[in-house]
Amino acid sequence: MKFIAVIRQVPDGESRLKIEGGQVDLSGATMILDQMDEWAVEEVIRLQEKHGGESVVVAMGPERFEEAIRTALAMGIDRAVHLVAEGYTDPITQAEALAEVIKAEAPTLVFTGGQQADWDAQALGPAIAEALSWPVVSWTTQIELEGDSHAKAKHDLDEGAEVVRVALPAVFTSQQGLNEPRYPTLPGIMKAKRKELKKVPVSTSSKVAIVEQTIQERTRLNKVLDGKDPVAAAHELVKLLHEEAKVI
Amino acid sequence: MILVVLEHDGQRMRKGALEAISRARQLASLGPIAGVVIGENTQAVAQEAAQYLPVVYAAEVGPYTAEKWAEAAHAAVQKSGAKVVIATGSRQSRTWTARLAYRMKAGLLEDTLETSTDSQSIIGTRYSFLNRVTERQQAPLPVVFTAKPNTTPLAEPEGSGTVETLEVRIPAGVEVLERVAEQKKGVSLTEATVVVTGGRGLGSPEAFAGVEELANALGAAVGATRAVVDAGWRPYSEQVGQTGKTVQPNVYIALAVSGAVQHQAGMNKSKYIVAVNKDAEAPIFKVADYGIVGDVHQVLPALIEAAKKLKD
Repeated sequence: MKFIAVIRQVPDGESRLKIEGGQVDLSGATMILDQMDEWAVEEVIRLQEKHGGESVVVAMGPERFEEAIRTALAMGIDRAVHLVAEGYTDPITQAEALAEVIKAEAPTLVFTGGQQADWDAQALGPAIAEALSWPVVSWTTQIELEGDSHAKAKHDLDEGAEVVRVALPAVFTSQQGLNEPRYPTLPGIMKAKRKELKKVPVSTSSKVAIVEQTIQERTRLNKVLDGKDPVAAAHELVKLLHEEAKVI
Repeated sequence: MILVVLEHDGQRMRKGALEAISRARQLASLGPIAGVVIGENTQAVAQEAAQYLPVVYAAEVGPYTAEKWAEAAHAAVQKSGAKVVIATGSRQSRTWTARLAYRMKAGLLEDTLETSTDSQSIIGTRYSFLNRVTERQQAPLPVVFTAKPNTTPLAEPEGSGTVETLEVRIPAGVEVLERVAEQKKGVSLTEATVVVTGGRGLGSPEAFAGVEELANALGAAVGATRAVVDAGWRPYSEQVGQTGKTVQPNVYIALAVSGAVQHQAGMNKSKYIVAVNKDAEAPIFKVADYGIVGDVHQVLPALIEAAKKLKD
């Protein structure tokens, strides 16, 4: 069996973002392996540990992605394919390029993050599935293989959840609760440096252009009351919400 | 031609469907609007939708899978010749619209706040970077986009249209074995105009009775932080934040919530934010319009009483 994780590198949520010339400038930000992709990587490693075979990470993005790819290798993934592309390419267009690599690898299944912390997009996993004519299961919290032909998975819907049986190969996207990702160990990090990382330059033309990015922080009123007299403070707050903000 | 995929609960259109129709009407220069109702009991819902749209397709495909929805929406696109497809920015829609956009070789604008057209392309604004950045995206036609819930006025009925049955080949691949229903009490979190959220600082699952009581008094939905959900105090469906739901109500009331970035990603665009926390340095106060620094166990009962008095 072969298991693939598709990953991205994104700014740490705690990093301060800047805007330069109408675009987000990431030069000062700490870049990390996307947290939701980390769940995907962990799940792929667990599936390999349980069922044997091979694990691969595939990523599409600029040179700097290598750091996130090495993190996945340090966690235990066997090898990596990096489609090197600078600039913004929308998830639908990326899916086409990624699907080509995945098709050639012919995996049992593919896992990726449910939403990327830079794009705030949920389309990548389903679009890869469409490009391969495979089924997709979004927001997966549990997965169990039934041989190499089917998987039973639990995933979140907008309201509630459901258990599905899916024909393999298929694409799964991750959700909180799927697993608790391991930290890379020092020997893991040393080993990762020698693992195969194949770089393939690609050029694609994005269907979607980002015209302008801005950071619009709402000016907040910051009217903070002292709660030493809870009854007085509560009444004052309810009055403000009713009479000043007019929201209740 | 514009196609609107109408979300429904098997009986009526959801609020999001009426928002999506409004979005379509804003793009009237691109031609007439058709609707499609996909799923179960579609005829009844399509009859309702026909009060809003001249043509409504009904595609009876059974319970949801992304594959079926993409297939049915694509059949409606082919039948109507639509160059723009609009759906609600729900989690399910954001899965199948990706499949549809790929199949149509269309640009996809996800979870847009507002949309416009220059007749060649669609321009949409949306949030990115964990809800911290507002970006304007543009894609040439054909375009598929989803409309973020609670961003658009609800459409009003306009005359009476016709309903047509749409035959759809049902794709295999995913078989639904079991539905785990969510306990539904009161107002839906993403559609609510008031949200009351409790954090770990409440101390126990029992303390959420007070959160529910305040929510009831205000006609609000109950939210929870990730820590609370991880601790098993509240169901995942109530989680607000990066890996939970994103809400932007008129007022978001955060009780004993510290306000981590991941939580803020789910609520920082609320019109007003209210915080009650005993720690005056908690990050939530930096984004709060109103707040009380105090013990939630004393402030919450007082808030309930004041809210009830207001509603009397």
